[in-house]
Amino acid sequence: MDCAPISTGSPPKPLRPDSPSIGWLTGIVAAVLYAGPMQAFAVDPQLLPPEQAFRFSARALNDRTLEARFAIADGYYLYRDKFRFAVSPEGVVLGAPELPPGKIKTDEFFGKAETYRGTVVVKLPLSAGAGQTVVLAADSQGCADVGVCYPPTRQKLTLAVPAPGAGPGALVEATPPRKNWFQ
Amino acid sequence: MNKTFVRGVAVAFVALAALAAGFYFSAGVQRAPPAAGLLGLALPDTEGREQRLDQWQGKVLVVNFWATWCEPCRDEMPEFVKAQAASGAKGLQFVGIAIDQPDKVRKFSHDLKLNYPSLVGGYGALELSKALGNKVMALPFTVIIDREGRVAYAQMGPLKPGKLDSIVGKML
Repeated sequence: MDCAPISTGSPPKPLRPDSPSIGWLTGIVAAVLYAGPMQAFAVDPQLLPPEQAFRFSARALNDRTLEARFAIADGYYLYRDKFRFAVSPEGVVLGAPELPPGKIKTDEFFGKAETYRGTVVVKLPLSAGAGQTVVLAADSQGCADVGVCYPPTRQKLTLAVPAPGAGPGALVEATPPRKNWFQ
Repeated sequence: MNKTFVRGVAVAFVALAALAAGFYFSAGVQRAPPAAGLLGLALPDTEGREQRLDQWQGKVLVVNFWATWCEPCRDEMPEFVKAQAASGAKGLQFVGIAIDQPDKVRKFSHDLKLNYPSLVGGYGALELSKALGNKVMALPFTVIIDREGRVAYAQMGPLKPGKLDSIVGKML
């Protein structure tokens, strides 16, 4: 991705404080508006933070299975082999995650890598968790098509695991929907 | 109109301007910060020797945050190797900061025949790039520092060869 340099404004007209009481205020504003020579900066404001690009949610399907979901924003992808899951408290144990097959992407350095787009659903076998409140932590790592990658990101959520024989629990989101005044 | 009223209006106007400026800058437009924090940084190289970034002050310094697990990062690095070979004598100095493990960085540097140092930083080094405009802390992120130690340019995502030449060419 190649962003056009963004001009950060122009030097303000000189402000003449007419009294000491507003002098300090104009000083602050002048400092805000003018901070030296204007420099080219190309930082994409559209790029989502990882927890928004890769929205993690989960629910307990029953007392022995958790279901983790990643809703991947358009233009972003996750690596299949970078998922790590952990559960607490101690005593509750997670089995090997059942990851669906991904799309093969050939990578010069790492060879073949599988990636996911859209929604990924991962089943996690659970033991000794029935009737408990557990914290599920998920590490994931992915990139955006514009040509940037995020470091591994940990997201956590708290789930109530049902008692044996009880129905599935509600879906819990790790990050509440983004509130952005500019959208 | 009395003087107090005029003054009140002026204060309100100035406060609004400051508020607007605050929103404007927080909405993605970044002001170039001083590179002092970055130049003061000391990180181990791939051999574990501590290297201070200010040892290259006075050169046109291109600091590239990258990782071996970041494909777009690796893709742009051969161009950096070419630019370092072509313009190193004129005072161009690339320095990589890998958010990675030393052994992986060492292997990749060897495979690519990297002709500039790559230091190894952790998440803390990535945090530092946040102050330079890398709000979402993604890679690659490249900062160009002029000979006086000021940030001349910062870019999230790959730096195209033409772009690199156009910025650095004027500074050498």
